[in-house]
Amino acid sequence: MERHDKLKQINDIFIDILDNEDILIEENTTAKDIDEWDSLTHIQLVVAIEKKFKIRFTSREIQSWKNVGEMIDCIETKFA
Amino acid sequence: MIFNSITFAAFFGIFFILYWFVAKKNLSFQNLLVLAGSYLFYAWADWRFLAFLIGVSALNFYLGIHIEKTNNPKYKKLLLYIGLVQGVGGLAFFKYFNFFITSFNDVFQSLNFNINLHILNIIIPLGISFFTFKTISYILDVDKGKIEATKDWVVFFNYVSFFPTILSGPIDSGRMFIPQLQKKRVFDYRQATNGLRQILWGLFKKMVIADNLATITNPIFENHLQLPSSSLLLGAFFYTIQIYADFSGYSDMAIGLGRLIGFNVTPNFNFPLFAQNIAEFWRKWHISLTSWLTEYVFTPLSISFRDLGKAGLILAIVINFTICGIWHGANWTYVLFGFLHGCLFIPLILKGTMNKKKKTTKNKLLPTFKEFLNIAGTFIQVMFLFVIFRAETISNAFHYYLGIFSRSSFPVTEFETKTRTGENFVFIILLLFLLVIEWRGRENQYAIENLGQKYPRIVRFVFYALIIFLIGMYAPTNETPFIYLKF
Repeated sequence: MERHDKLKQINDIFIDILDNEDILIEENTTAKDIDEWDSLTHIQLVVAIEKKFKIRFTSREIQSWKNVGEMIDCIETKFA
Repeated sequence: MIFNSITFAAFFGIFFILYWFVAKKNLSFQNLLVLAGSYLFYAWADWRFLAFLIGVSALNFYLGIHIEKTNNPKYKKLLLYIGLVQGVGGLAFFKYFNFFITSFNDVFQSLNFNINLHILNIIIPLGISFFTFKTISYILDVDKGKIEATKDWVVFFNYVSFFPTILSGPIDSGRMFIPQLQKKRVFDYRQATNGLRQILWGLFKKMVIADNLATITNPIFENHLQLPSSSLLLGAFFYTIQIYADFSGYSDMAIGLGRLIGFNVTPNFNFPLFAQNIAEFWRKWHISLTSWLTEYVFTPLSISFRDLGKAGLILAIVINFTICGIWHGANWTYVLFGFLHGCLFIPLILKGTMNKKKKTTKNKLLPTFKEFLNIAGTFIQVMFLFVIFRAETISNAFHYYLGIFSRSSFPVTEFETKTRTGENFVFIILLLFLLVIEWRGRENQYAIENLGQKYPRIVRFVFYALIIFLIGMYAPTNETPFIYLKF
């Protein structure tokens, strides 16, 4: 799967979990850019992404991402 | 040497002059002076633990540098654990050792074993709960790469022992505070007057409100077995305002002192008494502690428990707040206080509204009826739990509650004013004055930050003079230590 396909799938997860049709994430989007994205919805997002891609992140990884791009980097390492 | 004492005023006056007139040219001179001032201030309070403070600073300074430098993950982990063991171990030994021993003894006694372990005569280093949390967050941040380890020992030692905040916080994060120590401070008139204003408001809250309320609440909590329900309710109500005025007053002074010497200390309160639910209350109360706990306790826990859904969140929040309670001290009352606050979050988690920011009507004169109900409801929950916080033992708290619900509310309480205001009605006017000013100024960092900016300067000066007059007139003459000094 190409990187931008992943981004699109993650965008759908964001729309679904955060319940906001207008969300359009990019590689450099951070939690500050999206009102509904807080520490609690972050965990829901992580769980949904893990399910979707059938992967498992470590706590350390989850806490290290600074933006969406770094999260996708992390997902890619799981398929490498 | 508490902030509202003559000794401190003299100390700070001399420090201020040396800092801005003598040390102003050179950053390292500024930093060395702050460090010397901090150690003098700390030694003045209790010289016995100065060596401990320096040792803790030195250890964590070196740990930070080596955690960052090493490429060996095992060695990195080892260094991190050394720091955590020192921090948590130091707290466990000094604050909780005797508590563990007496609790053990009680458990064994209840099983009819008499092991009678001896308690130690331990004196708690002042401010240990506050500076330990600073060192722990620092090494965790260095480990995660959130912050660069500082190579300047004066900067790091200053971060740990900065005198305005060492005894009772706010708990600054290294991310926010260390960069400020690495830049030369330049005197800024607006920042300094802002600091003075904040100190003035802090002094009013502490000396006029909190210290007078203490003269009412202390006898009520001491004699709660004999008093009618109305007195007990009044005691709980007043204690809630007292602890707010005491701790937020202290925090305003600490932050204001920081501003006077060119630092932005992290905010600690954001008008928690006007919170509309318990989650909002904790986002507004002792912010530097709750944000620390959110980052280093709640978030990792909620990530670990993420597969459990809402149950995982509930577990994480209850553990988080139980730790928050224990942080205050070695007493089952604090454990229960924290645990119950955690439980109050459960309905919010189930409804999914824990992190929802309440929409508030900005700059409105009065709250809407619904907002008012929310504020009152939150206040009542907080007020009832502060009874446990204030009580010496859980059984005392239990009897206090029992008194509220079983005894008659007659005779209606006439609270006996040993307050310096003499007449009750004067004191009630002062309380109303506090609440009105706080409500009016609730969009600011502290209530009088921008009060009356649109009026001519003279009007504001008359207002400040009035506050100074009220402090002179109504502050009790004996020094009352800050409640949070013992934590």
